[in-house]
Amino acid sequence: MTFLHWAILFPFLFAFMVPFLYKTFRKIHTGWFVLPLPICLFIFFLQFLPGVKYKEGIVQTVKWIPSLGIDFAVYVDGLSLLFALLITGIGSLVVLYSIYYLSKEKEQLNAFYVYLLMFMGAMLGVVLTDNTIVLYTFWEITSFSSFLLIGYWHYRERSRYGALKSMLITVFGGLSMLGGFILLYIMTGTFSIRETIAQSSSIADNGLFIPALILLLLGAFTKSAQFPFYIWLPDAMEAPTPVSAYLHSATMVKAGIYLVARFTPVFAGSAEWFWIVSLFGIFTLFWGSFHAVKQTDLKAMLAFSTVSQLGMIMSLLGVGSAALLFDHFEFYSVAILAAIFHLINHATFKGSLFMVAGIVDHETGTRDIRKLGGLMSLMPITFTIGLIGAFSMAGLPPFNGFLSKEMFFTGMIRVLNMDVFQTETWGFLLPVLAWIGSIFTFIYSMIFVFKTFAGKLQLENLPKKPHEAPIGMLIPPIVLASLVVIFGFFPNLLAYSLIEPAMKSVMPSLLKDGEHFHIHISHWHGFTAEFWMTVGVVILGIFLYLTASKWKRVYDLQPKRMTLNQLYDHSLKTAGKTSNRLTSFYMTGFIRDYLVYIFAFMIMAVGATMIIKQSISFAADDAAPVGIYELILSIVMIAGSITAVLARSRLTAIIALSSVGYSLALFFVLFRAPDLALTQLVIETVSTALFLLAFYFLPELQKKDKTRRFRLVNFIISAGVGGIVTLLAISASSERTGKTIAEYFLETSYSLGGGYNVVNVILVDFRGFDTLFEITVLAIAALAVYSMIRLRTGGKDVEENGFKNE
Amino acid sequence: MNNNIIILPIIIPMITAVLLIFFNKQEKVQKYLSAVSSVINIGISVFLVHYVHTNGIISLEVGDWKAPFGIVLVADMYAILLVLTANIIVFACLLFSYKIVDYNRSKFFYYSGVMFLLTGVSGAFLTGDLFNLFVFYEVMLMSSYFLIVHGNSKPQLRETIKYILVNVISSALFVISVAFLYAVTGTLNMADLSLRVAELGSSGIIAAISIMYLIVFGLKGAIFPLFFWMPGSYQAPPAAVTALFGALLTKVGVYSITRVFTLIFLQDIAFTHTFIAWLAVLTIIFGVIGAISFSDIKQIVIYNILTGVGVILFGVSTMTESGLEGSVYYMIHDMIIKGLLFLLVGIVFSITGTTNLDKFSGLIKKYPTLGWMFFIAALALAGIPPLSGFIGKLKIVQGGFEQGEFVLAFAVLLSSLLVLYSVMKIFINGFWGEEKIPQVLETSQVKSLYVPAAFLLALSLFYGLGTEFISSYIKQAEQVLLSPDLYIEAVLKE
Repeated sequence: MTFLHWAILFPFLFAFMVPFLYKTFRKIHTGWFVLPLPICLFIFFLQFLPGVKYKEGIVQTVKWIPSLGIDFAVYVDGLSLLFALLITGIGSLVVLYSIYYLSKEKEQLNAFYVYLLMFMGAMLGVVLTDNTIVLYTFWEITSFSSFLLIGYWHYRERSRYGALKSMLITVFGGLSMLGGFILLYIMTGTFSIRETIAQSSSIADNGLFIPALILLLLGAFTKSAQFPFYIWLPDAMEAPTPVSAYLHSATMVKAGIYLVARFTPVFAGSAEWFWIVSLFGIFTLFWGSFHAVKQTDLKAMLAFSTVSQLGMIMSLLGVGSAALLFDHFEFYSVAILAAIFHLINHATFKGSLFMVAGIVDHETGTRDIRKLGGLMSLMPITFTIGLIGAFSMAGLPPFNGFLSKEMFFTGMIRVLNMDVFQTETWGFLLPVLAWIGSIFTFIYSMIFVFKTFAGKLQLENLPKKPHEAPIGMLIPPIVLASLVVIFGFFPNLLAYSLIEPAMKSVMPSLLKDGEHFHIHISHWHGFTAEFWMTVGVVILGIFLYLTASKWKRVYDLQPKRMTLNQLYDHSLKTAGKTSNRLTSFYMTGFIRDYLVYIFAFMIMAVGATMIIKQSISFAADDAAPVGIYELILSIVMIAGSITAVLARSRLTAIIALSSVGYSLALFFVLFRAPDLALTQLVIETVSTALFLLAFYFLPELQKKDKTRRFRLVNFIISAGVGGIVTLLAISASSERTGKTIAEYFLETSYSLGGGYNVVNVILVDFRGFDTLFEITVLAIAALAVYSMIRLRTGGKDVEENGFKNE
Repeated sequence: MNNNIIILPIIIPMITAVLLIFFNKQEKVQKYLSAVSSVINIGISVFLVHYVHTNGIISLEVGDWKAPFGIVLVADMYAILLVLTANIIVFACLLFSYKIVDYNRSKFFYYSGVMFLLTGVSGAFLTGDLFNLFVFYEVMLMSSYFLIVHGNSKPQLRETIKYILVNVISSALFVISVAFLYAVTGTLNMADLSLRVAELGSSGIIAAISIMYLIVFGLKGAIFPLFFWMPGSYQAPPAAVTALFGALLTKVGVYSITRVFTLIFLQDIAFTHTFIAWLAVLTIIFGVIGAISFSDIKQIVIYNILTGVGVILFGVSTMTESGLEGSVYYMIHDMIIKGLLFLLVGIVFSITGTTNLDKFSGLIKKYPTLGWMFFIAALALAGIPPLSGFIGKLKIVQGGFEQGEFVLAFAVLLSSLLVLYSVMKIFINGFWGEEKIPQVLETSQVKSLYVPAAFLLALSLFYGLGTEFISSYIKQAEQVLLSPDLYIEAVLKE
């Protein structure tokens, strides 16, 4: 176990201590104890920076289930380090922020920090492990900690709703992804991602390649809230704002991005990967930004914005995957560069914007932009942070968002030059949707900052009197906003420290040893297409922002009943209702129905088998001749059985039944088995007497039973069961084997068992073990009957009417 | 070493049960005796697991009558692992019962009934003789009749009659199936049956008889479409009994299907095992449909038994190394987790006096431990790693994929989602939300019920995280299932 493993496990271990710390030091906000951990981990991960720049990644393996090929292997390369720094860095800021956001008097802080730490550890695990099964394990833990955090205020109905929704969708994706991992394992024989990558060329033609690709992408798309799975993310905003900033914008939702980036070396080069990832991404960008504009809740707007921005990164990864096909790959790999750069930028500006939204909510008591406005003068620092974040998000210079947005346009335009996978026909969609999406992004960024901070102050609509937030709450967004500015002015700080190593992990095959991607990020490239696109975005964006009231009716065009949310709600409700109806339909509570199902299945299954497999045979060679006695006895038995069924009084039925039993005994006599005949006679006599005794106490058969109707189903079923069993018996008897173990019993009954009566010897000696337990059965039956008669509990410990199975 | 030790897991509970009859009025003796016997049994089972691990399959010819003529008991790794698990479940249920079963019930032989049940279950796992299997089924069933009606409340009486009727019919079918198979093969010893059925080659009558066995064991194991008796009968008795039933009874059916379809009926895998695969997936589907349709927490867990049964059988039906290995993993997990869930349901019932989810909510504030135990158990049930259900499901799905059953295997995988939904509904609506608890039992009284549940939960956690420690045992169990020769050789040596 190396320190790297401990770095992943520390948050979990610490999570165990949190409840004790919470209980012991009630006076101190628990967050202060938690804060040092992400900071230390951040510093710890910083020291890997020089390492990943020049060398191959670092691998450390701890055996977990080696016999199944599942090892806790940790792998640090550019990509995982980038994520690890994001997780711990943003994590530190979020913990600090939460200390001021969550009141130590009112909130269950212990639970909050346990979930948060679990998430942090799991997320580190996702990005640092090399084993797909371990990755999946951590992946699900992030889903569940997210579930718990969304449901943190679980007495609110919306929180529970959002928690369940996010869990169902992300776990669905997780399971699909697991399916993909299993398929990869079947193809490659390994759960290790690096070994899978090494074999990537040999599996591309495998029939399982495309299913694996699709299943894996289902995991990535659900987690990263891509269309149509994004619907959980807006509802996840029920979580406390620090959680939204951390999980639902900066880290967890990027796990899908990570997965796509991580598996790019395996799947890149196939048309399916290129198109699915690019198109879903670019459409999500458009869809998310389009819907963000109509939101009135600040956090909902940011949620849709996150959806949209994730789509943008996703589409870049899709487009960039085509670089593998070209010799002049650097021309196309700019999309990957843009993806990684924007990933960082998004974390900084969106994190700060969420914190701004949280501050506004915290200080005014509302997040509704219809009630907000004019906060600029009251909260100048918050306003400045918001302005920086929003302008960066809108893609305005000189902030970092501008740089990555330009690069995004570059990547999309270059699709037009590609001439692979039929990009000549459909490739134009990418830059067009990118441009439209960016216009909407511009609009909602403006709405976010100006509807909140500019305009008229409506004090009467605010639940609280607003003032600037405490300094502790401002520090984290200030740090992030500063990064927005710093990365904007000096983007090349990141170029070779973080971005280039991460690019290398995404496209390892493009470079030879010691080679590097050339990265130079600059503000000004001349009057290029990208420049004009940005100008267009700004002009059209301002125009549409100012005329928003005129065209907002567009949103009503999509009928309310057709939305994806409706689909989700409806299918959940229908699933519950339909399944309830179905289950209640067949679970009638009547044993006669159940027996009909069971027997019908038996008739069909055994009957079909006998027909398909031609099981029916009839051989009468060694059958004994049928004499007059046998004939008479058979007729008596048949008559008795029919009478028993048709009898109108119990007495007749019992007597008819016993006549069948006595005839059977006579058969034993005929076949020279007097001991069996005696046994049968005794049993028959006793049971007839008991029947008569018991039935004496029962009420008369009711009238309606006397006029018995002919029931076709019952007739078919009983005839079928009888027929099947008879056929089986005849066929089995026809294929009797000559060599049975019975020979041994006959031979040794006296010599070894000491008795001439073979049946007796079998019962008490050869198979005495059976007899012992048959006697036990009788004993248990006696106990059961005795306690059934004597014990009266009144059913205190059983619910009388608790279930619908009536 | 003398192989007589194999008989101890059967005989000890039986003798204990008989002794307990005589001490029926001394509650303390009842508790101590059953506890001591249970612990001894666990010890012996552990030893047997270890012994089989080092020495391979052992068998005992009862009364020294040579196989295949007499009855043999066979301890292969699968059987003995299940015996161990069954004993652990019984121990946990006993601990639970000590707190919750009143004097009246214990006076009327409750603990004897539990021990008799264990006798039957262990015997069914260990026997190597088809008719003897029938006898142990009877022991097990008679004890279950005893336990299900014990208490004589109205729902118990009503459900018992259905339960008995179905099982009497299935016992009758069992006997005639034994007779038919004996007629065709002339033997009852399972190893010998395996040889003789193989000699017959592709035989129509054997195919038909094998389907009869599938029905007989499927009735006990509650597979589709034979499970209808189960939801009602398992609802009726108190929690500790339902926990025993849910963890043990259906599993004996599943074990028997596994045994005969990996040892005896192998001549037409393309037909029989594909049929089982479809039934397994249908069982899963009906299980999840039932589970999401109820708002009664006991019913939800009961329908999840179906899903578990389906998953295990699907693994068996693949007849691949991974599929069988997965089914062994999943079987043991499922026994533990079903026992655990029913105990937790029992605790909730003793707090709230109801199992109806509409009648209570917000338990987590007063009972956080219970809430989190339930949460983890729910995740384990759904097969979320690193908990106990994961590895089994992984291997089973892998086996399905390897066999080319992509749709069915993916259905098995996705069933986890609905399983999760069905139990998370309990967590979200019962433990979360505004506090609404109809009838509060003293909290201190409830806490003593946590012990057995926590014990099973710890076991489940260990099973998941410490998979490596058990993997070689599971592997050994799987090898016997995959290569019947190992079993045959051990039984018919010399």
